[in-house]
Formats: sequence, C-alpha cells, structure tokens
Amino acid sequence: MGNQKLYKGSLQTIILKLLETNDKMYGYEITQKVKELTKGELKITEGALYPALHKLEADGLLDVEIAKVGNRLRKYYKLTESGSKETANKLEEMQEFLKTMQHLVNPKLSLE
Amino acid sequence: MKLTENQIDSLYKFTRKHYVYFYDVQTELVDHLANDIEEIWEEKPNLTFEDARDTSFKKFGIFGFMDVIEAKQKQMNKRYWKILWRFFREWFTFPKVVTTVSIFVSLFVVLQIQYSEYILLGALFILVSFDLIKQTKSKKKHKKKEQKKEKIFLLESMIGDTRQGFSGFAFINIFNSINLVKVPFSTLGIYWLLLISFSITCVILLFYVTGYLIPQKAQELLEETYPEYKMVNNL
Repeated sequence: MGNQKLYKGSLQTIILKLLETNDKMYGYEITQKVKELTKGELKITEGALYPALHKLEADGLLDVEIAKVGNRLRKYYKLTESGSKETANKLEEMQEFLKTMQHLVNPKLSLE
Repeated sequence: MKLTENQIDSLYKFTRKHYVYFYDVQTELVDHLANDIEEIWEEKPNLTFEDARDTSFKKFGIFGFMDVIEAKQKQMNKRYWKILWRFFREWFTFPKVVTTVSIFVSLFVVLQIQYSEYILLGALFILVSFDLIKQTKSKKKHKKKEQKKEKIFLLESMIGDTRQGFSGFAFINIFNSINLVKVPFSTLGIYWLLLISFSITCVILLFYVTGYLIPQKAQELLEETYPEYKMVNNL
C-alpha cells in the first residue's frame, strides 16, 4: 500500500473521473472500483468517501438517485451538468500538477 | 450470502446506536455496511453477522460515522440556505414587494413617533410568545414521531425545529439589544431610521419564511430533496 496521504487531495478528482466513465455509482461501488483499478494500491476510506460525496452534492456537482435493490435502498450518484464541466477542469489541473511534480522530482526528463 | 430483512433492520438500529438519527443518512450507511458484510462473508463465510458488521464498522476509523454525519449536516445547511434565499427573494419581486414596502413604510413611520421603542418592544414581545408556543408544539410533534419510531429526515428536522436560528430566541436577542441601547428611536437621524426599518423588515420576512412558509411547503421541499421520500412513506 502506497502513501495514502499523497492521494488525499485528489479524492474529489478521482470520484468525478469515475462518475464520468461510469454514469452512476453508489458509495461502496466507488471504493471497490478504485481498489480494482489501482490493484489495491489506493484504498479510499469510508470516513473520507462519504463526506467527499456529500460535499460534491452540496456544491451541485452531483445528483442522487434512489433505487430499491433486493431488500434495501441504494443511493446512486451521478454527475450534473456543472459536474461534468468541473470534471474537465479538475482533470486538467491534475495533469498540470503531475507535470509540475515530474519537473521537480525528475528534472532530467523535463529537459527539452 | 445475502443479508436478510431482519439483518438490514438491525443495521438501521446499529447506525442509530452510533448517533446517526436521520433516515436519509442511515440508509446510505446501511447499504454500505450491507455490501461490505456480504463481501466479507465471501472470504470468511463462517463469520457471524455481528462480527462481520463490526469488522466493517471499524473501517470507518476511530470517529465512526461522525465525519459522515458532519459532512451531511453541512450539506443540508447549504441546501436550507438556498431554499430560504429562494423564498426570501420572492418578497422583493412583484406582487409581494408591495407587502414588503408597506411593512417598511409603516415601520419607518412608527419609529418617528415618540416612545416608538416601546411600541416595538411590545410588538416583539407578542411575536416571541407566539413563536415559542409554535415551537414547543413542533418539538412535541417531532418527539411523538420519534417515539413511534417513524423515519425522520435531516431536512425535515431542520424545517421543523432549528430553522437556522430564526426562532423566538433570535427575537429575544433583538429585544434585549433594543432594551440595552436605550436610544429613543424618534431622535435618530433619517438614515439611521431608514436602516433600522429596512433591517427589521428583513428580520420579519425571514421569521415569516422560516417559521411559516417553509414548514407549510415542507412536503414539497422534502420530495424535491429526497428522491426516496415518497417511496419510503408509501412502504
């Protein structure tokens, strides 16, 4: 398991990106999907995921849908229109960040 | 292995025991725990329901559901303010603005009468009394609902009880401040009077919106906020 602290600031971007590719997802599904995609490298904790989802919902970036699955209710999240726009912004920011880090961590590669 | 109906019910009780009082927050956590318990059982089928549940709960960290509750509360506060603003704004558009202007002008006129602060204090006192009675009634209703173990949504409780602080208690504070300042309003300059009239008009409107209008529209607002509200109440 890598250093979880390094991922912390990117949680919202990760959630938005996942919802962009998967249309609608529920909380548990998000944790599992991240685990699967990163081969267990990143584990989103429950105590961080739901607060992040609720914040994104409050900011109007996510919308919710409820479905009855088996004997329980399930809450699905999906992107709103402004959520889709924000996803694009956040991903761009992330690319910038990665590039900057690359310059700092590995200066040789960045010599052009 | 799938969870039974009884086990789902016991998970609702479990979240309640861990200070999650509102149905909307409980539901999401119950689904999460249930999924996780089912996943845990795939690896360790011999684990009891209680053990699997506790393993899953531990993943929330030492503060348990606290972070989730706090974030939800913040989100709902934001939503409540949006609703409040939506209703409040209406009073500055036609035709309601006529009422607003009338309140403003009456206040402005009354404030210029000698001893106007006493008239104002008297009016406030009556308002506070009415509101406290109303609030007590609403709290009793809420308690009854709780005793009957009916499902209460977070926003529902905010509409009925806390009302973002615009309650009789806020008025008692204004009452006290007017009482303490002891400046006869009739001797103040015109700009002060305009400002005071405008502020009191806004407070009266906020009081009316939070105390009467929003509770009246509660059903509609809850259905708009919670896609599950209708579903749950029809179960």
